[in-house]
Amino acid sequence: MKKLIFFILFSSLITSIASARSTGCKEGNCDNGYGKWVYTDKTTYEGEWVATKKHGQGTETWPNGYIYKGEFKESQWSGIGILFFPDGSTYEGEWANGFMNGKGTFTWSDGKQKTGIWKNGSFQE
Amino acid sequence: MEVSKNSFKTLSEPVKQFGGLVGIIILIFLTFFVLNNIFGEGDELVAKMKIEEERIAEERKLNKLISSLPSGVLVSFDGTDNFKLSDELYEAVCKATKLIPQRAIMGANFLNFRAHEIYTINGNKIDETFVKWDDEKNKCFAGYVVSGNNVGVDETVKVSGEALSFLSTGIDTRVYFIKNF
Repeated sequence: MKKLIFFILFSSLITSIASARSTGCKEGNCDNGYGKWVYTDKTTYEGEWVATKKHGQGTETWPNGYIYKGEFKESQWSGIGILFFPDGSTYEGEWANGFMNGKGTFTWSDGKQKTGIWKNGSFQE
Repeated sequence: MEVSKNSFKTLSEPVKQFGGLVGIIILIFLTFFVLNNIFGEGDELVAKMKIEEERIAEERKLNKLISSLPSGVLVSFDGTDNFKLSDELYEAVCKATKLIPQRAIMGANFLNFRAHEIYTINGNKIDETFVKWDDEKNKCFAGYVVSGNNVGVDETVKVSGEALSFLSTGIDTRVYFIKNF
């Protein structure tokens, strides 16, 4: 019984260490500079950092297939950027506070397009 | 009356015991009959049990199928390196899937600012999630409901869309991409 408890605790410890080693700043400088950060859910950000925040040009890749390439401000998608949806749809244009805000083009996976002004992720008809 | 009492007395002991036994058995049957009529659900209960048995059998079949799928992302559309589900598998995976992880919800929130706001205010709390197979459209739909007080107003927002990809963990499957646009 003691051996079993020891084995479980030891396994948990090894798993925690392995998990901790696979997340966090994996390459470069994630404080001020250029670096790659891996989150616990396997989302990755590779790009510029200012004062430990994502700021400048970068690429954020989500494990479920969303990829954002473009400008970040204070860790949010802000500026000019392109978001690739998992099914192949894209939005290219202006972003603010993590949402499509400003002029942009949404392209569906079948090639259909919609260009115009977006506000908080919604197209302004 | 007196005659029957006397004739009963004249019966041999084994016959009396047998008669008593038959009487007790009849009494037990009658008691159960009465109790079943009062408390029992009869055919309705049998029907419910059959439905439950069918549900368990279906679940076992789906679990067997899920464990046979490769671990990783399963998609219902072309153009990726991920495992492409056949129409039959897509339906089966949809029916077996119950979970929607946070990233899928955050992705769907991109196109629903109100849902995103409530989700953030509530500390990423979700009221309800659902994954349903639509027989008419032959598609899998998934979604969630967020509710809360947003700047003094009680709001409930339901986000729903086509579930186009799933994550197979080897133990279960989860909705990975909800296309709500």
